[in-house]
Amino acid sequence: MSQESVAEATQQVVMNGTFWTATAIFLLAYAIIVSEKIHKTIVAIVGAALMLVLKILEQREAFHVEELGVDWNVIFLLISMMTIINLMRPTGFFEYIAIKSAKWGKGEPFRIMAIFAVVTAVLSALLDNVTTVLLLAPVTLLIADALEVDPIPYLITEALASNIGGTATLIGDPPNIMIASKAKLNFIDFIIHLTPAIIVIMVIFLIVLKFVFGKRLQVKPELKKRVLEMNEREAIKDPVMLKKSLFVLGIVILGFVFHGMLGYEPATVALFGAGLLLLLSGTHDPHHYLAEVEWPTIFFFMGLFIIIGGVVKVGLIKWMSMKVLAITHGNMFATSMLVMWFSAFASAFVDNIPYVATMNPLIIDMAQQLWPHLKGVELLHNPALMPLWWSLALGACLGGNGTAIGASANVIVVGMAERAGKRITFLRFMLYGMPIMILTVILSMIYVWLRYYVLKV
Amino acid sequence: MKVKEIMEPVIDYLSPEETLKDAVNKMRVARRGEKKVGVKGLIVLDEKGNLVGMVSIKDILKTIIPFYMSYTSLGEFTWDGMLEDMAKKVADKRVSEFMTKDVITIDEDAPLMECADMMVKHNLQRVPVVNKDGKVLGIVYVRDLYYALVKTLLDKEA
Repeated sequence: MSQESVAEATQQVVMNGTFWTATAIFLLAYAIIVSEKIHKTIVAIVGAALMLVLKILEQREAFHVEELGVDWNVIFLLISMMTIINLMRPTGFFEYIAIKSAKWGKGEPFRIMAIFAVVTAVLSALLDNVTTVLLLAPVTLLIADALEVDPIPYLITEALASNIGGTATLIGDPPNIMIASKAKLNFIDFIIHLTPAIIVIMVIFLIVLKFVFGKRLQVKPELKKRVLEMNEREAIKDPVMLKKSLFVLGIVILGFVFHGMLGYEPATVALFGAGLLLLLSGTHDPHHYLAEVEWPTIFFFMGLFIIIGGVVKVGLIKWMSMKVLAITHGNMFATSMLVMWFSAFASAFVDNIPYVATMNPLIIDMAQQLWPHLKGVELLHNPALMPLWWSLALGACLGGNGTAIGASANVIVVGMAERAGKRITFLRFMLYGMPIMILTVILSMIYVWLRYYVLKV
Repeated sequence: MKVKEIMEPVIDYLSPEETLKDAVNKMRVARRGEKKVGVKGLIVLDEKGNLVGMVSIKDILKTIIPFYMSYTSLGEFTWDGMLEDMAKKVADKRVSEFMTKDVITIDEDAPLMECADMMVKHNLQRVPVVNKDGKVLGIVYVRDLYYALVKTLLDKEA
């Protein structure tokens, strides 16, 4: 089904039995996901299967129609990037970076915190946030033990920096990957529109850290020596594979930068990188590397895409977009701000992946109602619509900082701290996270207002 | 020969409420036979005398090594005095927190081959011997099993 026929099919919302069945599956699935009574992946798979079994969607639509089914661009991008990281992880590269950073911080506790925050943000922009935090947190705990300082501020800072950094690029955070695919935005679009905002936010985040922790963290000189005496070179376990990995990662990043120009989808670039690195690694047993792909996350995505496809087809999303338009009266600045703040608070408490999966078609539906004469990229990239995509990305990604359950990186650091015998309560995380979330969203709001509605660049 | 013929009686044991420090001290002065020579592992019994766990030197080391070191290889970046500091930090940890909870036991009437097979498969140094009700009657050590073997082989030769 083409873009136009979808638009026609949803021109009138008919609230019949199919409509209510699809809506019930959607609402029930999301309610169970939020309640965490059943694992979210299982909920997504069962919900998707119900959409098919009850013939709300045909299997062909779920598997092969871009507007209604699984977004394979997102799926293959995620699988490929995860495979590249799985091949790269045993080389010791990430431990090397972390130890090097700590030494660069000269054993000064605040300097180390700031450098770790920047390193986390940069790595999160290029890799996924969970991987970054999972790789850096153990080294952080070791360094905190060496300096005999409380690791909690370091861990929370890293989670926050990871969510901020991940917002900067197309591949940094799943919401961006989903938005890019649906809105047909390329890597450079994200660099031009989101990276500047994130750089400003990061600088201000570091200034805030300096105010909060700058004087509080003190360390005896003899403890600094422990860090300075570490030899980061010992972290490299497989220098040959490391060179191959960096070579492939370089090609992949170049590929992302030029994918729009070359006419490739990001998933093509990532798949090529994963294939090339598997080939260069000389492994005869790819099973191990492929098995470590986070399959539950992948199936969660696939299930969600099908559930959303069902409610798009019956017109629920269209109905919701009409309601949003009724509230904002088509004022795009008001809509942007509403989307940004609503996204931030929604993502602070619920998974931002199902949220963005719902918002993408909703925004497209809204655009179709506002500009019925436009189609395809002309519609998706309408200058009046663009700030909405960026507001959605900024809100949904930065909102993850609000609470301990707002983002996967937060869940990981809370888990690690607990294992280290230092519990981070929901409230303690929020005490750090919520002010940072509100601050960063206010900064984003100013950025979007200034750039798209005042300067119009 | 059966397992109960080569087992040693239980003289010393730990309770789940004792601390790591208590455990280390008990293991240091525990009796083996008549002499106080120290042991490398002890069983843990609750107040009713039920077997609830086992503590070995390895369990103690495992609880001293910070968990984050298991995520990735960070051994090269540790420092002089770290193990000692970490040990002091966990000195008050309860036995119940670091003991091995799933204890492999053997029936008193089991033949020695079953015991040998079990020890090799699970890499065990000592196995509690239990009766039909699950009460611990003694402990069979890998060295005692081996002595039984030595006796058999060398007696025949003589």
